[in-house]
Amino acid sequence: MGSGLIASIQRFSLHDGPGIRTTVFFKGCQLKCPWCHNPETIARKAELIFYPQKCIGCGACLEVCPAGAHKLSPDGQHEIDRDLCTGCFKCCDECFSGALQIVGQSRSVQDVLREVMQDELFYSNSHGGVTLSGGEPLLQAEFAAELLKECRSLGLRTAIESNLALPWSVIEKVLPFTDLFMVDIKHFDAKKHRDLTGVDNRLVLENIQKLDDSPVELIVRTTLVAGLTDSPGNIRQTAEFLKELKSLKYYELLTYHPLGLDKCIALGKIEASEKFSAPDSQEIQRLLGIASLAARPVFLDGKGIAENELRSEN
Amino acid sequence: MNYDQRIEHLREEKLRQTNEKLKKLGTRDEDDYGCVLPPDDFHWEPPVTRDDGSFFGAYAWGKNFRSLMENHPVYIDSCDALAGRWMFMLSRMRPGYRLELAPFPPEFDYSHLRNEQGKYDITCGIGKDAHFAPDYEIGLRLGWGGLLEKVRDCKSKLGDQDGLELLTAEEDAILGIQNWITRSAEHAGNMAAREPDPILRQNLLDMHEVNARLVEYPPQTFREACQWIAWFNMASRTHNRDGAGGQLDELLRPYYEKDINRGLIDDEDATFYLACLLLNDPHYYQIGGTGSNGEDVTSKLSFLILEAAKRLKVSCNLTISVHDGLDENLFRFGLQCLLEEKMGFPRFSGEKSLVKGFVRSGFSRDLARKRIAVGCNWMSLPGREYTLNDVIKINIAKVFEVAFEEMIGDVEDEPASLERLAELFSSHLGKAVLCTAKGIDFHLDRQFRNEPELLLNLLCYGPIEKARDASNGGLEYYNMCIDGAGLATVADSFAAIEQRVVREGRLDFSELADNLHKDFEGIEGRRIRQMLGGSEKFGQGDSLGDKWAGWLTDNFAETVKSANTPGGRRLMPGWFSWADTVRFGKSVGATPDGREANTPISHGANPNPGFRKDQALTAMCKAVAAVQPGYGSTAPWQLELDIGACDIADAADKIGGLIKTHLELGGTLININVVNAEQILQAHENPDLYPDLIVRVTGFTAYFSNLSKEFRQLVVDRIITR
Ligand code: SF4
Ligand code: SF4
Repeated sequence: MGSGLIASIQRFSLHDGPGIRTTVFFKGCQLKCPWCHNPETIARKAELIFYPQKCIGCGACLEVCPAGAHKLSPDGQHEIDRDLCTGCFKCCDECFSGALQIVGQSRSVQDVLREVMQDELFYSNSHGGVTLSGGEPLLQAEFAAELLKECRSLGLRTAIESNLALPWSVIEKVLPFTDLFMVDIKHFDAKKHRDLTGVDNRLVLENIQKLDDSPVELIVRTTLVAGLTDSPGNIRQTAEFLKELKSLKYYELLTYHPLGLDKCIALGKIEASEKFSAPDSQEIQRLLGIASLAARPVFLDGKGIAENELRSEN
Repeated sequence: MNYDQRIEHLREEKLRQTNEKLKKLGTRDEDDYGCVLPPDDFHWEPPVTRDDGSFFGAYAWGKNFRSLMENHPVYIDSCDALAGRWMFMLSRMRPGYRLELAPFPPEFDYSHLRNEQGKYDITCGIGKDAHFAPDYEIGLRLGWGGLLEKVRDCKSKLGDQDGLELLTAEEDAILGIQNWITRSAEHAGNMAAREPDPILRQNLLDMHEVNARLVEYPPQTFREACQWIAWFNMASRTHNRDGAGGQLDELLRPYYEKDINRGLIDDEDATFYLACLLLNDPHYYQIGGTGSNGEDVTSKLSFLILEAAKRLKVSCNLTISVHDGLDENLFRFGLQCLLEEKMGFPRFSGEKSLVKGFVRSGFSRDLARKRIAVGCNWMSLPGREYTLNDVIKINIAKVFEVAFEEMIGDVEDEPASLERLAELFSSHLGKAVLCTAKGIDFHLDRQFRNEPELLLNLLCYGPIEKARDASNGGLEYYNMCIDGAGLATVADSFAAIEQRVVREGRLDFSELADNLHKDFEGIEGRRIRQMLGGSEKFGQGDSLGDKWAGWLTDNFAETVKSANTPGGRRLMPGWFSWADTVRFGKSVGATPDGREANTPISHGANPNPGFRKDQALTAMCKAVAAVQPGYGSTAPWQLELDIGACDIADAADKIGGLIKTHLELGGTLININVVNAEQILQAHENPDLYPDLIVRVTGFTAYFSNLSKEFRQLVVDRIITR
């Protein structure tokens, strides 16, 4: 059995599908959404992450680094010259403060499964299961398929969070073993989508339609980033598109959260840590109203919005 | 005024009284009791004291309690269905009272035990009171008049001096209570005459009538039954802070059904009376669970009790006893209350494991089913079992420290090793348990000469009939609980040594000892602290910490269980620290798990905060279920749920799944807090901002602003990981 590059595994994850779930975060993504809240899952290789606020200045990393990439100034300032770093990760083994960490480990199906199965009883007691997320799990489709197949054979419910910007043939690999697809439509406008993420959305929309003809459930989501994805037109068009779907469980709007910022800085991607914001709550209410005109039901950040909470919008 | 408005008024009044108490008495790290302050000009002194102002023995307690009752101010709120509030704790009016150390007559000297009690930081429980459960059924059946008759009847048949003294004191206690109730009934009548609002006037007239009857007769109606329970609770609190309750839905069901069938009340009335009872005092009540044939006893009342608590929105200590046949709707409704009200109720206990454990302790399944959850961490057979739950504890972090220091001091003779440490720990644990057991004997042999259980005796099977105090052989069963505290601290310490010293050889025992003695001083010390703290922890799942926690649990349970006290009393092990983690922590230096000197030890059976990177509650759930001592005492899981987890579509499925799985895996009791981390932080900085914020500290709930800074920190630490 193969192995996959895994960023992390989160047990008792509450926001990645129904019930109690374990989410396996895959490493590597082909899109470049600038507001990504999991920036540590974008690169397709293991990375060094550094949280300066945790560093106690013990100097252990300096001693072990063969490349001399760490510098500790007398005033306790710690810097890493990432150009020198060869990615041996010896420093991470010696850093007990948690300041230096490695993201991305090669793990076998069995290894991941062992961790996933720790919570088996919880899944059955809460209608939960396992979710593959990332990153883009389908960039490692063989591994994902193998893992899902094993999960299924052990009686677990399965879900994938994907951007679907991949050929249908790739999706087909996991389709037989997946119960639920959670998919993002980052922007409905093809050009804007390309500007924002670096890829076209045609494939995404096509694949959603194909999934709608497959025996799976669908949740579609849009992250609301002020000035980028929160135009009423965008939400209206997306909702209109979803209106026709048979297997849509709900359309979910997600409020942008600056969770990814610190991680960008910790990854040394200062340039990526551009500041974004979420639309204000009034605007969000308005967008929910627009979305609900076409697609139903509508969710906001994991919670269903009741009919009477929706503002009508013409 | 309608019921909702009256509840609103009562809640506001309670909040005002709580703030008044805070101003006058300062912060208190305990339950939010239902007591109120006496009027400013009130003055009372116990009539029977020794020269030093203290008092001991049945005679003095009987006289003093009666006098206090006869002088107790009356309290009536015209919006309340029930009369009375309590204002004093006689047991704390003796000089020298401390929460962790009760007064004891100086002629009974236990200084021979003090050395080891200090060495192992044992909370010995000598002189401690209450902490076992009465059976309200006895009182509801007999009423105060019937109880008095019973006492007098038994007294006439007895010649034994101690017995006579006890029963005379019981008589005094009842007469005092009857006096208080009589005056309260009169007061309600007088207030009615002056009350302009017709609804409230009628309420006061009813209150007058109800209480005038209850002075003598057993309750006949649902309202009377609630009022009777409230009087017993208030009197018992006034006597010695007792706070155990009972199986409330079953106790009240006959009255409810009778009144409903006769059309005397409807569910709105019943809910209001229940709300008044729950407001009167936050006693521990169980609902749900099984009857004697294993059948589910959930009834309409179980729901109404929860509904009343939900409307009341003050701290309540309700526990749902979960078993396979439990009405799923009650479980769901409990979850709904928990998630919507965010006030830490209900709690959930696991019948399956508790019954299994008690059977393992040598009791029948039938008897085991009758044990109910009525305290922070404890179970008791109402009216039949003396346990002293939650007041006898061994600080195992201290035991560990003693073992570690002995090993380090002895290296000349025997080299330090993990095996040697484990061996020394076991041997010191044995000594600590023996010392605790001797303390238990000491207590049981003499407590009746110190402080007899005048109130609880009345609602038990035996003490009155045999004229022997509950602590002195009056009851059928004596299962003396010993709780261990500091499980995760010690498990993680063993694990850190195994990983960093033995396996990886990153430091040796003398370096470790040196760093502990210096409390991880300097940069290198900090690094070592983090290295130790970063080793495999209890709760991670299949970790070294989990292995050691399992070893400790077996070791502790067997050490406690295998030995009766020298006097032949049965012992029962549990893991529980209550909120004593701060006090216990102060006696222990730095530990190998990276804990700094004098900081709190770990909480109950919980893993240390930060035990896993993802903080997965499923991992915590399994960990706590895996360390159950398994003899009928609990090792509660203290579960902090962030508000985010509760504000999602299928929160009830998720949290319900977590609870059910814990109880399925062997868990015994879950104390849950639903918290808004941000709000807690703000309230910690400025308690005045959130005067009505309620948290479940351990088994009990309290207003956050009423807790001392240290205790607030404790709650904050559990929620916001280091
Ligand atoms: S090893 Fe970690 S804590 Fe020590 S100096 Fe390096 S980054 Fe800082
Ligand atoms: S990963 Fe290796 S090369 Fe890079 S900084 Fe750490 S020790 Fe140096």
